[in-house]
Amino acid sequence: MSVSLISLIVVILAVAGFILARRRALAHSGGDARKLHSLPQYHGMTGVLFTVVPAFLVMILWLLVQPIVFENRITAMIPEATAADDATRTLVMADVRRLAAGLDQAVSQGKLREADIEGMRADLTDVRGRLAEVGVALGSNVQQSVFQAAKAYRLIRNTSSLLMTGVVLATAVAGFFYAMSRISVDYRARNVSERFMIGLLALASLVAVLTTFGIVFSLVFETWHFFTLYPPFDFFFGTVWSPRFGGGSTLGILPLIWGTLYVSFIALLVAVPIGLMSAIYLSEYASKRVRTVVKPLIEILAGIPTIVYGLFALITVGPLLRDYFAMPLGLGNSSSSVMTAGLVMGIMVIPFVSSLSDDIINAVPQSMRDGSLAVGATQSETIRKVVLPAALPGVVGAILLAASRAIGETMIVVLGAGAAAKLSLNPFEAMTTITVKIVSQLTGDTEFASAETLVAFALGLSLFVITLCLNVFALYIVRKYREQYE
Amino acid sequence: MNDMRIAERDVDSMESKITARKVQVFYGQNHALKDVDVDILDKTVTAFIGPSGCGKSTFLRCLNRMNDTIDGCSVKGSIKLDSEDIYDPKVDPVQLRAKVGMVFQKPNPFPKSIYDNVAYGPKIHGLTRNKAELDEVVETSLRKAALWNEAKDRLQSPGTGLSGGQQQRLCIARAIATSPEVLLMDEPCSALDPIATAQVEELIDELRSQFSVVIVTHSMQQAARVSQRTAFFHLGNLVEYGETGQIFTNPKDPRTESYITGRIG
Repeated sequence: MSVSLISLIVVILAVAGFILARRRALAHSGGDARKLHSLPQYHGMTGVLFTVVPAFLVMILWLLVQPIVFENRITAMIPEATAADDATRTLVMADVRRLAAGLDQAVSQGKLREADIEGMRADLTDVRGRLAEVGVALGSNVQQSVFQAAKAYRLIRNTSSLLMTGVVLATAVAGFFYAMSRISVDYRARNVSERFMIGLLALASLVAVLTTFGIVFSLVFETWHFFTLYPPFDFFFGTVWSPRFGGGSTLGILPLIWGTLYVSFIALLVAVPIGLMSAIYLSEYASKRVRTVVKPLIEILAGIPTIVYGLFALITVGPLLRDYFAMPLGLGNSSSSVMTAGLVMGIMVIPFVSSLSDDIINAVPQSMRDGSLAVGATQSETIRKVVLPAALPGVVGAILLAASRAIGETMIVVLGAGAAAKLSLNPFEAMTTITVKIVSQLTGDTEFASAETLVAFALGLSLFVITLCLNVFALYIVRKYREQYE
Repeated sequence: MNDMRIAERDVDSMESKITARKVQVFYGQNHALKDVDVDILDKTVTAFIGPSGCGKSTFLRCLNRMNDTIDGCSVKGSIKLDSEDIYDPKVDPVQLRAKVGMVFQKPNPFPKSIYDNVAYGPKIHGLTRNKAELDEVVETSLRKAALWNEAKDRLQSPGTGLSGGQQQRLCIARAIATSPEVLLMDEPCSALDPIATAQVEELIDELRSQFSVVIVTHSMQQAARVSQRTAFFHLGNLVEYGETGQIFTNPKDPRTESYITGRIG
């Protein structure tokens, strides 16, 4: 039975649980809801919760564990010769799954019967041809071992599916009867559903945390793999970045880190003053009318896709900077430069700084401003000496968000600053960033076994560590200088 | 202690500090204050009493032009401080507020150290030439606000860490650090417990020797305890203004009598 059908049955059972539990609770109280500890709908709710939650938990767990078990069983059936290393084994497993799906298709269209498949042998029948008839194209002729594995795969899958249906439905039914058996006048159904809610909320936050750990874990794993192929010292302290897919590349991260930080620095140099000042204007000086018009207009900037900003950088800002600044000053003749990307990126992140800071400045209590104005401070003195210090933690948070956007930005850099990794102080020279290089290392027909592709994971992990350090640093700043107003 | 005891009534001076004539205040279309005439005497505590929404706080905020910060608020009529019209375009509201200090209903110390809270006004007005002078201003202000003994060992700790009553006294110290001529207090004790209230009231009585104090209060007992002059506001009108003893014992207007005996308000 399919997962959606099982879910449907469980949900129907839950609805029945609600109605019956509610009715049962009312019957226990003799029709007078006031005698119950909890309102009848809470009793109904426990009916739903005990039916649905354990059943779905079992199902999710089953679906998570199932592929791992299958993989182990099936790989054992494939001879060592066909699957020498990890990469080929993955390919063979994909073949097995595809073949199994093809056989399913054939059965459902009536071209094959289960009994036929049992007796079929890949070396005697033209499996590829038979499957092509039902619209499943296979890349090569089918080997007998793979065909056997596919047959076994179908078998375990079918038993597993049957078993899961049984277990899940049994859990649901057991939960249903358990809920019914507990209903009485004094049963604290309200507290029980409260505890379920707490569990649900905790589970939601757990998912977010676990995902982060999962991402870091996969990065660390692949990075470890990379460092077995390439010396870490050369990676972290190398000043040259020149990957060659034939081998013999030099993969030094320093030019990339430099490019990343340089571009982000220029972006923040643009975004922080403009964003902060516009936030102060909007929250402290602007009339309500101006505010309602200007604030959404600024926020539109955040909604423009970054590729459009990239085009703007490529076509307008780049040539402008080259013709009016770089060439007259004798600083180079490249239209793609750190300055171009930094400026455009700065414009992109203005709304992150301004919109958040605006909200935070607005959250500073009016009594602070009154206190300052009442001793005869001007409005700007009040803002500088009272409002901004009180809003500092939030403002730093806004700047940090802008910084992480800038560091992670790719499209604007590709189009604005180019793709040449370079260590230079000249802001009018083309440079590139870590994210751009991750993309260029992973695009194209590549396999995940060489240092040239695996380096992408090491770059990703380095980027992650950089932003993490930035966060920790900002947290430290906030702790040190925060002025709490409540 | 008899709560209705009437404070010493010897008004030290009959000189008027603030003269208000025909003051009208509008919040947009809402006519909040109608034709108010008041003379506030120098070195005197003047109490404004009246039910909520009667315009007493509004009038108080006119006296240092804090109403300027409210959108859609307009003030008509004349208010003179030492015979100078404070709504004259030549008057800088910022300078005016240094001369007319204000203490608010809820203690609102800045999220800074106790020292910086008191030094805030003197610093922005450049009242002191060096650190030593500033230290002295901070100390005298804190002494006048009866907070010095409690705060002298923790001047660098945040003002928000003090108790409610201490915070309010800190705000008073902050307001008097710029040596104002008038001190406005908008229900300064409504967020405080009885002990802290007693301390602040005692303080108000002491401050009378140097400033003219105007206090808005909901508590008639408090008005009776601390003030020499009382003004009763009702529905945006100034109903009666006179000596506190006379207002509380022998009110002329029937509305005043109804209010102080608890029939309206």
